[in-house]
Amino acid sequence: MDLFARNEGERYLCGLIDGPCQTSDLDVFVQDPAHGAIAQFFGVVRNHNEGLSAAAVDYDVHPELALKALSELCLDVCSDYPVKLVMIHSRGLVRVGEASVVIAASSAHRKDALGAVSDAIDQLKIRVPIWKKEIGPDDEQRWLDGHSLRKD
Amino acid sequence: MTAITIHCLGAFRDLGDCFTVETSDVSVASIRAAVSRHLVEINRSDLDGVLKRSVFAEGEELLKDHVTVSGHEVSLLPPVAGG
Repeated sequence: MDLFARNEGERYLCGLIDGPCQTSDLDVFVQDPAHGAIAQFFGVVRNHNEGLSAAAVDYDVHPELALKALSELCLDVCSDYPVKLVMIHSRGLVRVGEASVVIAASSAHRKDALGAVSDAIDQLKIRVPIWKKEIGPDDEQRWLDGHSLRKD
Repeated sequence: MTAITIHCLGAFRDLGDCFTVETSDVSVASIRAAVSRHLVEINRSDLDGVLKRSVFAEGEELLKDHVTVSGHEVSLLPPVAGG
């Protein structure tokens, strides 16, 4: 994948990509002969949200902070689970049916890979500086609310 | 007075890529108050609620309101909504 920002550790790869994420061959990043399970999650733009139709989402990203947050998240997940992990998120326009985030984890047994992927997407949504502007079928646009990073 | 450039992200992009405010000191709390006044001046006080839930960052560091900034540029990060 042609990532414009990436960080790699011993057991993880994370990054940011312009436009939609590729969903093929994600398992290549986490394959390990000692791992018998690979779990994958694709977050895909849907055609409706909160009762309104949607045609696309335009993702705004703070690249440096987002990569830092993704890296810290990968380290946390890898400390909680014995997995190899990859997390990629989009920047810019992603249309309905296209993937805006892809996550894969491998582990010796399935529970760790499944748990790691589930925790990773839950935490990504509340920790990583990324914002969604939803675009409707008639090009109407609205920023979606999210989770505050404020600690004071 | 000190001029601080605010880099806009998320919902604040509606105001442009950046704007400048004047503050009497360089604490994050003072910068937040200056941004709030700016929103009133440009008739965008509808964003004040978002501002209250937003965090400022300098470089790769998220800032609490009691700290002071070392430079003249900060990023304004509204609540995040990735995925």
